[in-house]
Amino acid sequence: MTRGSKLRLVLRDVASGCAFASMAVSGQLPLWTLGLYVFSLVAALLGKRLFARRAKLTALLLLGVAAVLAVNVTAGSLNLVVAACAFAGLISAHRLLSAPDPATDGQVHLSGLLMVAGGAALSGELVYGLFLVAFSVMSSVSLALGVVESAVPEGEPIPVRQVLRPLSTGVSFAVAGAVAFFILFPRLNWNMTGPRASPGIGPATTGFSNTVRLGGTGTIKDNPRVVLRATLNPDPGVDALGAYWVGRTYDIFDGLEWTNAGGVRKEREPLLTLRPGGDNLVHQRVELLPAYGGRTLIALETPSRLGNAVANTSTGGRRTFLQELSGGEARFLEPGLSYSYEAYSLPPGGSGDRFRKLPTVEQDALLALPENIDPRVAQTAARVLNGEREPMAAAQKLAAWLQRELSYTLEQAGERDDPLADFLFERKAGHCEHFATALTLMLRTQGIRARLATGFFGGERVNEGYILRAGDAHAWTHVLVPERGFVTVDATPPANRPGQGSKWLQRLLGLYEAIESRWRNSVVDYSFRDQVDVARALVRPPQGSEKNERSQLPPARAWGAALVVGMLVYAGWRLAERLSGRPRPLEATRFVDAVEAVLASAGIVRGDDETLEELHARMSSDGHALAPALAPITRRYLEARFGGRPLRQGEADTLLRALKSAVSDFVRMEAQLRARADAPRARAS
Amino acid sequence: MTQPARVLAADVPSPASARPAMERIAAELGRAVEGKEAQARLVTTCLVSGGHLLLEDVPGVGKTTLAEALARACGLSFARVQFTADLMPADILGAQVFHAQTATFQFRPGPLFRQLVLADELNRAPPRTQSALLEAMAQGQVSLDGSTHALPAPFTVVATQNPVDFSGTYPLPDSQLDRFMVRLSLGHPAADVEARLLATRGRAPPLDAVKGVSSPEELAALRALSAEQRLDASVAEYVVRLARATREHGDIERGASTRAVLALGAAARTQALWEARDFVTPGDVRAVLVPCWAHRVLLRSAVQGVAARDEAAHLLEELVRKVPAPR
Repeated sequence: MTRGSKLRLVLRDVASGCAFASMAVSGQLPLWTLGLYVFSLVAALLGKRLFARRAKLTALLLLGVAAVLAVNVTAGSLNLVVAACAFAGLISAHRLLSAPDPATDGQVHLSGLLMVAGGAALSGELVYGLFLVAFSVMSSVSLALGVVESAVPEGEPIPVRQVLRPLSTGVSFAVAGAVAFFILFPRLNWNMTGPRASPGIGPATTGFSNTVRLGGTGTIKDNPRVVLRATLNPDPGVDALGAYWVGRTYDIFDGLEWTNAGGVRKEREPLLTLRPGGDNLVHQRVELLPAYGGRTLIALETPSRLGNAVANTSTGGRRTFLQELSGGEARFLEPGLSYSYEAYSLPPGGSGDRFRKLPTVEQDALLALPENIDPRVAQTAARVLNGEREPMAAAQKLAAWLQRELSYTLEQAGERDDPLADFLFERKAGHCEHFATALTLMLRTQGIRARLATGFFGGERVNEGYILRAGDAHAWTHVLVPERGFVTVDATPPANRPGQGSKWLQRLLGLYEAIESRWRNSVVDYSFRDQVDVARALVRPPQGSEKNERSQLPPARAWGAALVVGMLVYAGWRLAERLSGRPRPLEATRFVDAVEAVLASAGIVRGDDETLEELHARMSSDGHALAPALAPITRRYLEARFGGRPLRQGEADTLLRALKSAVSDFVRMEAQLRARADAPRARAS
Repeated sequence: MTQPARVLAADVPSPASARPAMERIAAELGRAVEGKEAQARLVTTCLVSGGHLLLEDVPGVGKTTLAEALARACGLSFARVQFTADLMPADILGAQVFHAQTATFQFRPGPLFRQLVLADELNRAPPRTQSALLEAMAQGQVSLDGSTHALPAPFTVVATQNPVDFSGTYPLPDSQLDRFMVRLSLGHPAADVEARLLATRGRAPPLDAVKGVSSPEELAALRALSAEQRLDASVAEYVVRLARATREHGDIERGASTRAVLALGAAARTQALWEARDFVTPGDVRAVLVPCWAHRVLLRSAVQGVAARDEAAHLLEELVRKVPAPR
């Protein structure tokens, strides 16, 4: 096998791998199909074509695989599209392990095409786009190499220079096609297209359970994955929002766990009104991403109305009903991988919520204390408050004390009999749940109604909206203030409220999220109207009142920089080409063009069907004065063009100079001869 | 007759030294057939390319003399077979002869077992005999009574036929014509040459003037050198384009075969040796195109003999002008 065809096969196999990966990133393919494919790809890349001799027999394996997939589909455990995609991947795997011949090559490329189509149906995520482009480039280069190899006789070198231009054109077309495919596909409103249906990298992380167990499960503070994306109206326009996004609240604490007293309040509502609204509501368009992993709606404090909810599943997005539970929790009725909805919230700083609205059992729960609460909790609270009875002032005083006396830690304390006493009096360190629980219970010991709230704290500006990460999950206290309702008081030291993930990881994921968000905004959610607006703006630039606005086109220096970069790339390419020292037959052709131009200046024109060799032979037989000067040039041209001895650096110029000088001598001589012939001759008289 | 000089293969290492060797052979041929330098050169090209030669001409222009001179100049063993209507395959191949003393059959080789065989008036022999020659030309061996006998190397057939008188002949089938690398006509000598012949022929037979200037070993070395000549991909593609042009031409019933393509490549490689080059140019291909292909293309027109030959050559020259050579 030649080196060229090895490269072609590797490109073909890796392209197939990219196509498979474009489906695999959806996270929906069965694990065993992933394993089988990866095994085949690795074997193929190592040059082990295990099925080369038993193509027909091993094709029976595919029948077995098809049967297993069919059973899964019939049993309802597998989506038909997913099954079809998995099968396409395994057909490709079979072909990878078969003998590499033209038929197999075609099948690998074709199954690759099917797989990227499947990938678009399953995910359509940004990562998918990258795999799509990689597949397009590698597959087209592999195909082009195949064409060149079949055209060049065995043993002859591949004419790299001649191939390079059509190859780069082909690759450009492939990339353009891939990008177009990537942009257009999400716009086709196919039912099976679920652009937000995949959990992306890794499993979902957060979600709210029915209980909060103090000192229980591990921390998620350092998780930088984005779980929520929201646009606000009015937009505060700050880089770090620092807002409380509430998910649900808890009122019963048994010493270990927080739970709720009430049950379901409203079943199946398309729109939930939690509190009376007002004129100055903050509107939010929220998207809960697959990484969120729960069904509880999140909204800015204090939510007033929630609705217009859409659940995205692997079979597409559809409207879903909401359910209201106690603790102010709104939950999606149908499970989905991601959700989008709208929410309205009262402006921060007192909600106007009336606690009279709460059922009696829930009102009573706001003062309930665990039976075996450590007496030191009440004593400490009383000592700190020192007679302060006003709920808000008392809460702030206690929160200040907690922040001052206790420290923040993410280290787990492990299972304790009384985690609250352990936090307050033994370890004197804990995380947000400890601080919030301590504040809530200390208030209750003093007869002040309070509850635990969980959700997220923060909001990081990305493009036109805000994102929240899994590490932004937080817990705080709601204090019931007469005439104001529940007011947020956070006992956790302020520095420890936002997520504390690894900075570089956060930055990297931030970059990815930003690109993905931009793609979603300008591709997936880009309406037809938006596109028409852009087209109109391009055709007719805005005038009149908008004259003073800055141009949307890149500034002149951007064009200049692009030009310089382009020139540098071209120069680098030429340099690399020169250094590679490959024979350049076309240079000889350029040389012969130049030679003919010089000869034409002396009136010597090559016939249509005449080669330089024949022209020289004709001139020699005619005894032309320039024939001797042309002899070395003809010889060198033939050597360079057909003899595999390319012209050296500057040789063409030297030869051309010599010819030019011979031609100018010849032209001068001709002129002199003509002048002599035309001159009047003296006659003997 | 002088003995041919023993020249070893190592003596012809480069195209530069190959050219004088080939010129020596052509010069000796020129002594036997005067005034036919171009033809002598072409015959040498055919011999060095490892091809068989078809001489097509009226009787008495020196075809036999040329073949014999070739054998003598190169030191090749020679046999002349006059092909007639009653010539049987065994007459050229040889026969199994029964030995009474040993009670066994022994193979007695026929005249074909020579390095250069002149098949005179090939088209007068019946097809069976022509077919026997076909195997010998294609494979360098003969099969007789189930056993195969290798012919001496180098093995070259020079066949002749009369393009005018076709009565009572068996025209060579296309497949056999295709096995001749080059077809050549000598034509009548120029008037001054004829006059000189008349004046000098009485004194000594022209073959006596031909000296052995080469050897089978040198010929083998030349053939190896010719086969090693570089043929650029663009030139190879040019040859193929020319072949396709003959196949697509409206006036041509059957165009150049793949064997014709290979033969042209081989002849062009040797043609490059004449220019002391180690690579083939489109000019080399053009130089040998007509003698290589004119007898291989079958025209649609009903003309035969010399007219058909000339028309085929004319068509090919026209094609050469139409198919652009690589630059």
